[in-house]
Amino acid sequence: MKQIILFLLFCFASFGLNAQQKFTLSGYLKDAASGETLIGANVYNAANPAQGTSSNAYGFYSLTLAKGSYEFVFSYLGYTEKTMRINLTADQRLNLDLVEGITITEVVVTAKEADENVESTEMGTIDLSMENVKRLPALLGEVDILKTLQLLPGVASAGEGNAGFYVRGGGPDQNLVLLDEAVVYNSGHMLGFFSVFNADAIKNTTLIKGGMPANYGGRLSSVVDIQMKEGNNKHFAVEGGIGLIASRLTVEGPLQKDKSSFIVSARRTYAFDLAQPALKGTDFEGTNYYFYDLNTKINYRFSDKDRLYLSGYFGRDVLNYVSNLRGFFFNLPYGNATATLRWNHLFSDKLFMNVSAIYNDYDFSFEGGQDQFKINVVSGVRDYNAKVDFDYFPSNKHNLKFGANYTFHRLTPNIANATSGEVEFETTNLQKKYAHEAALYLLDDYKVTDRLRINYGIRASIFTQVGPFESSISNRTYDRGEPVKTYYGLAPRITGKYSINERVSLKAGVTVTNQFVHLVSNSTSTLPTDVWVPSSERVRPQRGIQYALGYFQNLQDNVYETSVEVYYKDLWDQIDYPDTYVSNPTQEADVGFVFGEGRSYGIELFLRKNKGKFTGWIGYTLSRTERSFPDIEDGRVFAANYDRTHDLSVVGNYRLSDKWEFGGALVFGTGNAFTPIKSLFLIEQNLNVEYGPRNSARLESYHRIDLSATYNPNPKSQKNFRSSWVFSIYNIYNRRNPFFTYTAFETNLQEGSAKATAYKVSLFPIIPSVTWNFKWQQKKKK
Amino acid sequence: MVTTIKNISLCLLLLCCGVACEEEFLPEISTDPTDIVVEGYIEAGDQALPPYVILTRSIPFSTEISLETLNNLFVRDAQVTVSNGSTSVNLVELCLSELDPAQQILVAQAFGVDLEDLALNVCLYLDPSFSLVGEVGKTYTLEIRVEDKLLTARTTIPPLVPLDSIQFVDPPGNPPANLLEMRCFVTDPDSLVSFYRYFTSINGEAFIPGFNSVTDDVFFDGKRFEFPLAKGEPRNEPIEQETFGLLTVGDTLTMKWCTIDQAHYNFWNSLEFNAINQGPFSSYTRVENNINGGLGIWGGLSVSYITKAVQ
Repeated sequence: MKQIILFLLFCFASFGLNAQQKFTLSGYLKDAASGETLIGANVYNAANPAQGTSSNAYGFYSLTLAKGSYEFVFSYLGYTEKTMRINLTADQRLNLDLVEGITITEVVVTAKEADENVESTEMGTIDLSMENVKRLPALLGEVDILKTLQLLPGVASAGEGNAGFYVRGGGPDQNLVLLDEAVVYNSGHMLGFFSVFNADAIKNTTLIKGGMPANYGGRLSSVVDIQMKEGNNKHFAVEGGIGLIASRLTVEGPLQKDKSSFIVSARRTYAFDLAQPALKGTDFEGTNYYFYDLNTKINYRFSDKDRLYLSGYFGRDVLNYVSNLRGFFFNLPYGNATATLRWNHLFSDKLFMNVSAIYNDYDFSFEGGQDQFKINVVSGVRDYNAKVDFDYFPSNKHNLKFGANYTFHRLTPNIANATSGEVEFETTNLQKKYAHEAALYLLDDYKVTDRLRINYGIRASIFTQVGPFESSISNRTYDRGEPVKTYYGLAPRITGKYSINERVSLKAGVTVTNQFVHLVSNSTSTLPTDVWVPSSERVRPQRGIQYALGYFQNLQDNVYETSVEVYYKDLWDQIDYPDTYVSNPTQEADVGFVFGEGRSYGIELFLRKNKGKFTGWIGYTLSRTERSFPDIEDGRVFAANYDRTHDLSVVGNYRLSDKWEFGGALVFGTGNAFTPIKSLFLIEQNLNVEYGPRNSARLESYHRIDLSATYNPNPKSQKNFRSSWVFSIYNIYNRRNPFFTYTAFETNLQEGSAKATAYKVSLFPIIPSVTWNFKWQQKKKK
Repeated sequence: MVTTIKNISLCLLLLCCGVACEEEFLPEISTDPTDIVVEGYIEAGDQALPPYVILTRSIPFSTEISLETLNNLFVRDAQVTVSNGSTSVNLVELCLSELDPAQQILVAQAFGVDLEDLALNVCLYLDPSFSLVGEVGKTYTLEIRVEDKLLTARTTIPPLVPLDSIQFVDPPGNPPANLLEMRCFVTDPDSLVSFYRYFTSINGEAFIPGFNSVTDDVFFDGKRFEFPLAKGEPRNEPIEQETFGLLTVGDTLTMKWCTIDQAHYNFWNSLEFNAINQGPFSSYTRVENNINGGLGIWGGLSVSYITKAVQ
C-alpha cells in the first residue's frame, strides 16, 4: 500500500513541472447529420499524433498544448476526418460535426492517423458501433448487441442462441452491464435467447474485459457500457423494421433545433399473438407469450456549459400459460425498468462534470394455481444510485477522472405466499435485504513520455448490509438502517503502454476487482428466476485480480488491427451450489451456498480489418477456467461451466455495391463441460443415476456458420423514405449443436427388463429469416 | 416451484420455436468401480414390520439391461445386522423363489410388483423371526459386511402423524367424467419439523409412491391443512396429462401415509428432484444417500393406513 501511495504522489507531482505557457482546445464532437455526440473520437496534432486525446462518453474533448500553430486532425471510425489549422494563442472552444462515410482519398491522407488500438492504454477493450452490429447475421433477424459481443475473443456464449455471456472465465453475474449508466440486472428476454437491448435505440457499446479503469466497479469480470442514442436534433426521423417474430419503431427529432432532441424506440414480439386464433377452443386457449422494450431519451442543452439528459428503459416478458384440461394456469411477468437523469457541466475548458441520478428495478413474479390453490412468488432488485464523475484535462500529459458513487440496494429473494380457498399460508420467512454501496475513485491517464503512457488509479469501496434484518446466525434483530455487516474493498488498477514505434506497442496491466452483490445459478446460464443476493454475514464479497500482457500492432495504415493478449486471473470467494442442491423456496438462497476459489488463464488473438469494401475480424481464444470448492468433491479442481478451451470467431462483411452487402459469421467452440453419468442403480424398481466427477466430460464441439444479405433497392434515392431488406440464414449447414442431454429410463421388473436411453437435444437447425427495415427522414430545409 | 416454471417455460419455448430436435446417443461409459446399493426399511405404526434390506450393485450405463444382468445385480452372501441399541438381529438372505407366500407378499409390496408372472428373482435380507419390529422414537443402525467392505447407516422412526381423513372431489378443469381428485387433511404437530412420504394402492394392488412422494411441513407447520394429492403413478412411464394422479370412481384406495426422518426425506427429495430436473436450465443433483460406504437408503417409517372407496 505504501508503494502505491508513493507512486501516486510521484505521478501527481509531475503536474506542476510544466511552466511553459499553454492553451486548451476543447469542445464537443458530433455527427453532422443527426447531431448525436461521438464517443471516443480522436483529436490530435497531425505533426505529432502523441499530442492527442479522445472524446468522452458525452462527446467532450479537451487538449492542452503549448502556444503555437497546429494542424489538428479530428477523426472517428467510419467518418470522414477533418483537418484544421488552428493558431492556439488562447483557450479555444471548437464544436465540430463529422460526416459519416469515407471517401477513397482518405486512405492516402490518413497516413499519420492516430490509432487508438496501439496508442491508448486500454487493454481488452473493444468498441462496437451499431452500424457494424446491424450488418451481421442475426437469429430470426433480431439484431442483438450481446450476441455480437460473443464473437469477440475472450467472450463466450452462455449457450446455443443465448444472449448471456462469460468473459475470460467469469460467471454471468460478473459482467457489469450498463445502459446509460444504469445497471441492468437481467439482460435477457425469453430465458436469455434475446437481449433486452433494442439495436435501434443504441448508439455505442464498449466492452472492457481486461484492464477495467477505476471509474467502473462492482463486478469482477467485465464491463459492457451501452449508450442510448440521444435523438436527432436536426430533423425528425422515423425508423423501424418488421421481422419474423418482432417489429420495431423509433421516432426521433429535435424539440428545439440544436438545443434539444428526443428519441422513443419500441419493440414487441408477436409470434404468439398471431397463434391465438389457432389456440382458440383448445385446452391451451389463453396461453400467450410476448416481450417488449421501450427506450426513451430527451436532452436539453441550456448553454455551451450545461446539458441535461433524461433517459429511460422499460421492458417486460409476459408469459401466460393456461391448461383448461386440468384447470391449471400461471402468469409469469418479469422485466427491467431504468431511469437516468444526467447533468453535464463544464466548469472550464479543462474540467467536465457529470452528475447522475439513476433508478433501476428488476422484478420477477409468478402467479399460478389450480382450482382453489394458488401460489404467488416475487423477487427482484431495486437500486437508487447517485454518482458524480469528473474529467479533468490539466495538460496534454494527464487526463484525470475522479468521482464518487453511491447505491442503495433493495434485494428481494423469492418471497412466496400461498392460498387454499380462504386460508392463507405464510409460506416463508424470507426477508428483503437492504444495503448501502459506495465508492470513490481516482485515475490518471498519464503520458510519461511519447512512448510510455500509463493509466493508474484506485477505487475504494464500502458495502454495508443494513436492517431491517433478523440474523439467523446470531438471532439478533436489526432495526431499519442499522448496519448488519460491512465490507471494504480497495482496488488499485494500472495499465501501461510502451510504443515500440508508431504502429507497435506493448501493454501490461494489473486490475483488482471486488463484487458485493451476487447471482448464483444452478444452471449454466442465468434465468429470470435466479435471485441476486448481497454480501452478508454468510456471503463474503467476491474478489479478483487479473494480470494481462498485450502486443498490439496495426498494419497497412491502420487498415488492419492486430493484437495478442495473455491473461491470468485469480478469483476468491466464488459462490456455487453444492452438488446435492435441491431448490427449496422456503430457505434463504445463501444458506445453501458453498464458497471456493477460481482461476482462469488464456491467450487471445485478434485481427480486425476496419476499412475498405471488406471488413471484419478473426478472434481466437485458447483458455482454461477452473473452480475449486472445499464442499464440492473435497476441493477437487474442476473445469468451470464457463471453461471453453478453444473459441474461434470469423466475422466478415462485404460491400458488393451500394445495393448489396453481405455478412457472415463462423463460430467454433469446445463443447461445454458437463457432469457425466458414473453408474445406474436400482431403487424402488426404478433406475437412478449416480454422477461422476463434476464437469469431467464434454459435449461435442459447437460450430455453425450464419450468413446475411442486405438489399437497398434505391441507395441513391433522395426521397424522404427509404427501405431495405435483410435476409439472414442462421446455422447454414444445419449443424445439430447439442444444447443439453438427458436420460430416460424404462424399467419393467415384472418382465425383468430395463432400458436407459440418453438423448441429446439441439435447439436451432437452419433458420432463414427476413426483415424489412425502413427509415423516413424529414427533408433538409435549404 | 422454480423448477416447474423452468420446465414449463422451456416447453413453451421449444413449442414456440417448433424446431428443437433430439437424437439418441451413447454417453461415454465410466470405468470406475461400481458401488453397493442399499435399500432397507423398518416400519412402525399401524402394521409394524421387522427390517428388510435389498442389496444390489450399481452398473455402468448401458442401454439394454437384460434379465440376467438384473438378476446379477443382487448382492449375495452379505452379513447384515440391524440394532436398536439394545437388541441386534442378523438378517437372513432369502430369494423370492425361496420364500413362503406371506413373505412373498411382503416383498411384492415393497417392490410394487405383481407376484404373478414375475420374471425377476428378487433377493433380500430380512428378519423372519419378527424379533425386532419398528418402534416410534427408536434409532436403528444398519451394518453390512460384504466383499471386504463395511457399510453403515442410521435411521430414526419419528412420531406417527396420521392423515385426519381423505375426500374425493370433482377435479378442476375438464378431465374425463368418472375421475375424482383426492383431497387429504392432516393436523401437523406444532412442536417439531415433520417430513412425510406417501404411497397409494388401488384395489389391493402393490403400493406405488407418489410422483413427488415427500414433503416437509414448512408450508403448514402446526396447522390443519387440506391439500390435493395425486395417486402414485409408475415413475418410468409416460405421463397422461388427462388422467394423471386422478382416481376412478368405484375403485378402492388404500393410502399409506408415513412420517420419516430428515435424512430419509433428503434421500427421496434429492432423488426425485434429480429425476425431473434434467435439461439445459438445471445442473445435476447428486442423490443424498444416507449409507456410509455405499449408495441408497436405510429408512425408518411411521406408517398409518386409510382405505376408502372412491366415490
